[in-house]
Amino acid sequence: MRAEHSRDALDDLLGALRRGEPEALSALVDRQGPRLYNFATRMCRSAEDAKDVTQETFLAALRSVKDFRGESTVSTWLFRIAANACRKMRRHGKFEPAHHLSLDELMPGEGPIARPAEGPETAVLRADVRTRLEDAIATLPPPYRAVLVLRDLEGLTTAETAGALGITLVTVKVRLHRARLALRRALAPTLGGHGAGVP
Amino acid sequence: MECRELFARLSEYLDGEITPEVCEALRRHVEGCERCDAFLDTLRFTVDVCRCLPPPPLPDDLRRRLHQLIENPPPA
Repeated sequence: MRAEHSRDALDDLLGALRRGEPEALSALVDRQGPRLYNFATRMCRSAEDAKDVTQETFLAALRSVKDFRGESTVSTWLFRIAANACRKMRRHGKFEPAHHLSLDELMPGEGPIARPAEGPETAVLRADVRTRLEDAIATLPPPYRAVLVLRDLEGLTTAETAGALGITLVTVKVRLHRARLALRRALAPTLGGHGAGVP
Repeated sequence: MECRELFARLSEYLDGEITPEVCEALRRHVEGCERCDAFLDTLRFTVDVCRCLPPPPLPDDLRRRLHQLIENPPPA
């Protein structure tokens, strides 16, 4: 999980941004730019759109920094702006339509369930695991993908994710679980190690 | 607790976001159910692999665009 910067450090940064200190903007870009680009890349599925979303997020943040009251962390605030920018692109027809992930469809079948044969740090280095995982994330319906990326890739808490996406805690939990189950199903054939073919 | 009920709450269990009572009921079920225990292992592995996934590198042209923004920020 990505290291989360402390709330105090980010709030200090916010104060400096309000005072128009360029070092503060530079620090914000260094700290949050890669995270926002990661989120935008996975939501837009287009590097060019993700670059536009990332830049637009910082522009919108700077324009509205005086109105930000600090009810959430700075990173949650930035992800909220980025999520809205991604939704705007979706309304313009650049995103695939959303569909529902059914819990029943994600339940395991009757066959044996193979346990992982190696640790996650080792598995993530394997091309077959990486390809399956990246494809599975990319093909999640956008509402589920947004929750998964913020929770499991960017390390936001359930409450922060709910705040960033403007949804309830329960909705975050429901979407996260179904997204994880879909990824788990996609990874299942690789769980037994190299060359495994277990369902 | 039935397997299906457990199946619906496994992520909350992994994230420590359920009450101690439900957590204990889940733990007891998993201890006595080989399939649910194995499934939980695979779900935990899936979450951990996601957490190990490196982020895409920031492209140089985006870095340049953000640098320009730092040099010429819009009025707040």
